[in-house]
Amino acid sequence: MEEKILICEDSLEGVFTAIYEVYRRHLPRETVRIQTGEDENYRLFAEYIRIETDTARAVKVMRTLRERFGEDTYKDLCMALTTADADKAQAVYRTAAWGLDECDTAKQGHVMDHLADPYVHKVMQLSRRACNELNHLKEFLRFQELRTGILYAKIGPRDNILPMLTPHFADRLPAEDFIIYDDKRDVAAVHPAMGEWYLASGVQEDMEKLEGGFSEKEEEYQELFRYFCHKISIKERENLELQRNMLPIRFRKYMTEFIPE
Amino acid sequence: MDDMTIMDKLGILSDAAKYDVACTSSGVERRGNGRDMGNCLSAGICHSFSADGRCISLLKILFTNECIFDCKYCVNRRSNDVPRATFTPEEVCELTMQFYRRNYIEGLFLSSGIIRSPDFTMELIYRTLFLLRRKHRFNGYVHVKAIPGADARLIQMTGFLADRMSVNLELPTAEGLRALAPNKHRKNILTPMRQIQNGIAENRDEIVLYRNAPRFVGAGQSTQMIIGATPESDYQIMSVAESLYQKFELKRVFYSAFVNVNEESTLPALPGGPPLLREHRLYQADWLLRFYGFQAGELLDEKRPYFNVMLDPKADWAVRHLEQFPVEINRASYEMILRVPGIGVKSAQRIVKARRMGSLDFQALRKIGVVLKRALYFITCNGQMMYRTRMQEDYIVRNLTEESGREKLSFGQDGMTYRQMSLFDDFHFDSEPTVVDRNQAVFGQL
Repeated sequence: MEEKILICEDSLEGVFTAIYEVYRRHLPRETVRIQTGEDENYRLFAEYIRIETDTARAVKVMRTLRERFGEDTYKDLCMALTTADADKAQAVYRTAAWGLDECDTAKQGHVMDHLADPYVHKVMQLSRRACNELNHLKEFLRFQELRTGILYAKIGPRDNILPMLTPHFADRLPAEDFIIYDDKRDVAAVHPAMGEWYLASGVQEDMEKLEGGFSEKEEEYQELFRYFCHKISIKERENLELQRNMLPIRFRKYMTEFIPE
Repeated sequence: MDDMTIMDKLGILSDAAKYDVACTSSGVERRGNGRDMGNCLSAGICHSFSADGRCISLLKILFTNECIFDCKYCVNRRSNDVPRATFTPEEVCELTMQFYRRNYIEGLFLSSGIIRSPDFTMELIYRTLFLLRRKHRFNGYVHVKAIPGADARLIQMTGFLADRMSVNLELPTAEGLRALAPNKHRKNILTPMRQIQNGIAENRDEIVLYRNAPRFVGAGQSTQMIIGATPESDYQIMSVAESLYQKFELKRVFYSAFVNVNEESTLPALPGGPPLLREHRLYQADWLLRFYGFQAGELLDEKRPYFNVMLDPKADWAVRHLEQFPVEINRASYEMILRVPGIGVKSAQRIVKARRMGSLDFQALRKIGVVLKRALYFITCNGQMMYRTRMQEDYIVRNLTEESGREKLSFGQDGMTYRQMSLFDDFHFDSEPTVVDRNQAVFGQL
């Protein structure tokens, strides 16, 4: 039988639209594949179908998955899709399809327990990886105060977790104007004080302009924090390897205490 | 004194606070209120790691390092000639708020030397917290010391502003305390500890009745003791820790390898550096008490009062109780699976869930995250062991120690390798380490 490959946009909405299409078009579940990018080599005997992202359809799928599987599993599926893995869409699709088609309602809340299934296992691994990255950014992100009083943070996360990261800071700093800029994907999350946050992409030039001007007090607090980090360490226990394990080097170029003045 | 800059004060007062171990921001979940700065995650957040590999979660400072006491192990004792400094409450608030805004820290950890009297000191701490919570409306995490000997009312009032309180036990036994801290008395330390415990219990009842009643020390209380300054055995230390957990309902007991900062001749010299491996074993055993259902008396006894240097306490227990193994993964109770070396809390929970969907083999266990290299001597899957192995104590010990040889070696070389424990990796040192009290289970990790 000819293999069908659905190509969709690399986003939650893109992948969920593709899942919607599998059901709408009654495609055979076993032989259809979902991918978030082109193959390097086109495969013979495979039909490629390009799927345009349709937010309304994606939202329907999101709602179904959330209702049937519960919040935790839904979160796992979403987190898996933030990674850069080439097979993530396929793993999420097959996990979701298996849960929807094969499981009775009582078991649908426990889809992620079925680790013997390779797709479920893959989703769990990807989700765990992305959750770790998200937690790291909650820890290691550093704001700097601009001359205008706006807090500005630059990050370079491995996975596309900015949308999951921003609510954490919006809850924590409701009365602050802040911007978190993902410089790997050129996307910024903008949070106006006491307002709703939003994402803006293609803002590299604007961000570069911002990075010039810090507030008067900013340097003093950076210096104070660097000094604190230095003083709090116990010389007799020094252990740079452990420090490196806990705080990988790749985060440090964005972190106040590791940037020399 | 007054012309000191904030930088000078921060230097002196963070340097003086660094020997306090507890730097966790865990135990309380509090969402932002939509207006003021701050929220709390029950898992806690570590914001950075210092050059000794310890986490920096809170702005850990002393209010002052002036002290009327003369404890032999303490760098701030009265008889030491060190630079002294004292913050004002406003300065502490300003630092906390500005550091928190920039995501440097999760909150404040405020301790203090005893200035003038315990009451005077406690009042300063109270005033600082009051200012931070009421004027600056700080909604993040606050851990504060209760000063032994201070008025019970002051401690009570402070408890309503703090998330966690701690009273340091300092040394495991009353004899040790008498020898090294002539101004401190065991009774004075246990009294506030009991008071906080009772306060928390009362508060629990109030919250049931009145949902919006103010929280008293919502994240519970902790303590710490110094290891290796006095001659107590591991068994004594673990027994003390166990009774603290049971009788005082502490959230955490911290162990701090002794560093002879004062080069005090009456205290151990420790040429090999602080006793880090011993501290590490105590933390491992502490985990077994809190999460694995072990009791101190099972791990050690009068005849074997010290932990095995070669094996972690869980493996050590298992090889001495081979009559209880192997256990059948598909049938054994959760409690028994938890006791298998190479299986951590997270793996055990996954096993119990996954086996409802079908029987598990070794391949499935590997996927779940079981460390088969260590577990294989103690388990069967559907009646079969992974390999044919001898159920013989010295044979298994030899294999397990070969495997964990690196762990010991890294402690031996320069005495400096130290890794904090994680709930989930079951003392398995190849896996990515996670942080004390960071309970990733909260975020879809189970």
